[in-house]
Amino acid sequence: MKKILIAFLLSLNLPALAEFRMIVPQAAGNGTAVWADIIARHLEKQLGEKIVIQHIPGAKDISGFNEFHNKLRFDEKTIMVSHGGNGIGYLVDRVDYDYKHYDSIGMMNLNIVVGKKKGAEMQGQKARIAGSSGQETDGMAIALLLCGNLPTMQTYLDCWNQNAIWVNGVKGSERRLGFMRGEFNVARESVVAWFKHYTSPESNAEIWFHHGVYDLNTRRQNEDPNFPRGYRFETQFKNVHGVDPKGPLYDAYTLSRNFRDVLQKALWVNKGNPNTERLRAALTKMITDPEAAAALEKDTGKYEWIIGDAGNQVVDRIRRNITEQKLKDMVWWHENAYKFPSVYKPELIIK
Amino acid sequence: MEYIIWLMLGTVYGTIVGVIPVAGATIGLLAVFGMIDSFLGNPYLGVVFMTAFLGAVSSSDSFTSILTGIPGSGSTAASIIDGYPMARNGQGARAVGIALMDSTVNGLFWGLLAFGLMPFYSKLILFFGIPEFAALMLLSLACVGFITVKNPMLSIASVALGLFLGMIGQDPGTGAYRFTFGWDYLAAGIQIVPIIAGLFAVPEIIDCLRGKMKKPPPMVDYWSQLKQGFSDCWQHRRDMMRGGVIGFFTGILPGIGGSAGDMMAYGATVAKHPKEQFGNGNVKGLIGCEGANNAQKPASLIPTILFGIPGAPFAAIMMAVCIMLGLELGTPSLLEDQKFMWAIAGGFLISTVISFIICIFIARWIVKILEIPTWIYAAVISTVVVWSSFQYSGTINDLYILVVCGIIGFFAKQIGLSRPAILLAYVVAEKFENYTQQSFTLYTWSEILSRPLTLALLIVSILIVINSVRKFNGINFN
Repeated sequence: MKKILIAFLLSLNLPALAEFRMIVPQAAGNGTAVWADIIARHLEKQLGEKIVIQHIPGAKDISGFNEFHNKLRFDEKTIMVSHGGNGIGYLVDRVDYDYKHYDSIGMMNLNIVVGKKKGAEMQGQKARIAGSSGQETDGMAIALLLCGNLPTMQTYLDCWNQNAIWVNGVKGSERRLGFMRGEFNVARESVVAWFKHYTSPESNAEIWFHHGVYDLNTRRQNEDPNFPRGYRFETQFKNVHGVDPKGPLYDAYTLSRNFRDVLQKALWVNKGNPNTERLRAALTKMITDPEAAAALEKDTGKYEWIIGDAGNQVVDRIRRNITEQKLKDMVWWHENAYKFPSVYKPELIIK
Repeated sequence: MEYIIWLMLGTVYGTIVGVIPVAGATIGLLAVFGMIDSFLGNPYLGVVFMTAFLGAVSSSDSFTSILTGIPGSGSTAASIIDGYPMARNGQGARAVGIALMDSTVNGLFWGLLAFGLMPFYSKLILFFGIPEFAALMLLSLACVGFITVKNPMLSIASVALGLFLGMIGQDPGTGAYRFTFGWDYLAAGIQIVPIIAGLFAVPEIIDCLRGKMKKPPPMVDYWSQLKQGFSDCWQHRRDMMRGGVIGFFTGILPGIGGSAGDMMAYGATVAKHPKEQFGNGNVKGLIGCEGANNAQKPASLIPTILFGIPGAPFAAIMMAVCIMLGLELGTPSLLEDQKFMWAIAGGFLISTVISFIICIFIARWIVKILEIPTWIYAAVISTVVVWSSFQYSGTINDLYILVVCGIIGFFAKQIGLSRPAILLAYVVAEKFENYTQQSFTLYTWSEILSRPLTLALLIVSILIVINSVRKFNGINFN
């Protein structure tokens, strides 16, 4: 009884007793939680100190990040783990967190793949898309591919309503099952999940497009080394419509894409945290450890890390990309095309 | 090696939990939430631990019912009717022998059937589109709400309460928040641990503190009586297998297993032998019902694994733990995961055998647990419940919600609401709402009703509800 009581009390105080604490805004087992688990396991070897993961789940994975922002970031041994959904939430949801207050330890700039039925010509047939939170960027790209360059958001919405069915609330496994049965004709996955679920002949799927990988130097999306050339969104758009994409929806799409994909997996501490450089050094060492690199490649695919101050510069750059029109259009699209309650926040625009 | 360690730990833990009065599989599994970190590196270890626990708890939970007349778990209540008189008549070891053999044979046979054929069942999923899933959810609510509960008003109230609890948080379609009463903590909904703890553990703890434990009678001529019990099972093997068949099929139906399967098996045995007296230590009575819960456990995992619809409260916990471990039940890819299938089948089947062997040798001593004062069980179970509930956010909010769920569970039991129906409705609420919304986004009414499987499932659901209302009102339509 005494032992049970001690174990119980210890379990309540674990985070406080730990050397480092990693805040994950999801329950254990979800994508970013699994990623954080791999990072913590390998990073603590380089750091020489234990890292304890604290899950603070909540709707749209906002609660954990808010808790970090409002309270936990002032503890110098607390690291925040965020993902692309938090990036979109920053733009269109009412959240407390704000990237300008944090220092980047490191981030993985990842990609998302959108597939279709093998041999299917999507132009002229209704795209049935299993949508949910975090996939808004993919919906925008699909609207652009189906509709081409149009002058206004309203004309895009009309075209979208005619050519696409966005089915809300579909989870990953249900989406795959629905695609297999033919209820959905569009698939959307992370790169690793794509190779796992859609590359067998029975899946009857092929890549439609991917969003590309953000290049720090050129500030454009590059081809993804995990795929053959030619499937990047802009390339596919030109193949179909003969011109480069442009217009209000494309501008909103690029904003959404940058915040989701560039910030897809990221580690943060509060600005001025005395452990920042130590953590960055440990992460730099960790990514050269073959065991850690193999575990991460298995989880996320083969992607580059952006470590240290370069991460802050990237965030600064994508934040400067927020304009009043792009942000308003993105919010409008979320509310009208997906029926997601969204909020326009003028304070995000850097004057 | 790690697998063997976790399998043994699950078996030993299950054997002990089974003996603890009123604990059972559901409450025992709550503790797994507290050890989730141990399985994150290899989630299959968690599956092995849970299924080993399940195999063992289904065998040892009969001891308490037989020796004290207090159910070891809800699913062994029928064993008391003839098992307890046997123990009082100095045939305790014989009754334990029957329980062990019956549990092991039915556990192994139906476990093999359930898990061995699982890859073939997986083809079924492809017949289920979104409207079929919505109709299946409706059928599961009809089954759990209206088959075993006699008062349809209480059934409707139970299902409505469960659906309401499951709808708190975010609208799965639009992402808008609802029923959160301005409390941010509820934005992500109520978590499953406090719901299960509140519905099933808290009322049992209260009962445990209220009740008085009877000291089990001593087991005399242990080995010869045990052997006699084994031969009884062979002699009345038809009764034994009938119990298994009933347990298995009630297990497949969501929420119907447990005590209902056990009681139905007992009823069928009594009906089969109309000239015999039951209730005074008839071995056929014990044999007829004892294996039902062992057949029910693997059967309950079939709808859980195939469709993500928990067949019983314990399966809802397993489902939640698996999700936390990254294994989402109800997905075709998981059915193709050989490692998962081996973990789930191996854990259950091997632990059933090990538990049988362990129990033969330690049954005489393990029942000493029953001499421990009830307040100690209550304290231990309370600690496990609070600890597990704290694993979600680690804040005081977890405790508040546990208290609220405990009050709901206590009153649900007092006024006769179906707690399995509340739980199942809570678990399927999001999916049911999602599938219904999605069906109407993709199809029109006429398209939905022209799908034969959807139509059949809807008709069966309606018939179940009509039958329940008809029985309650004593209406004869003939």
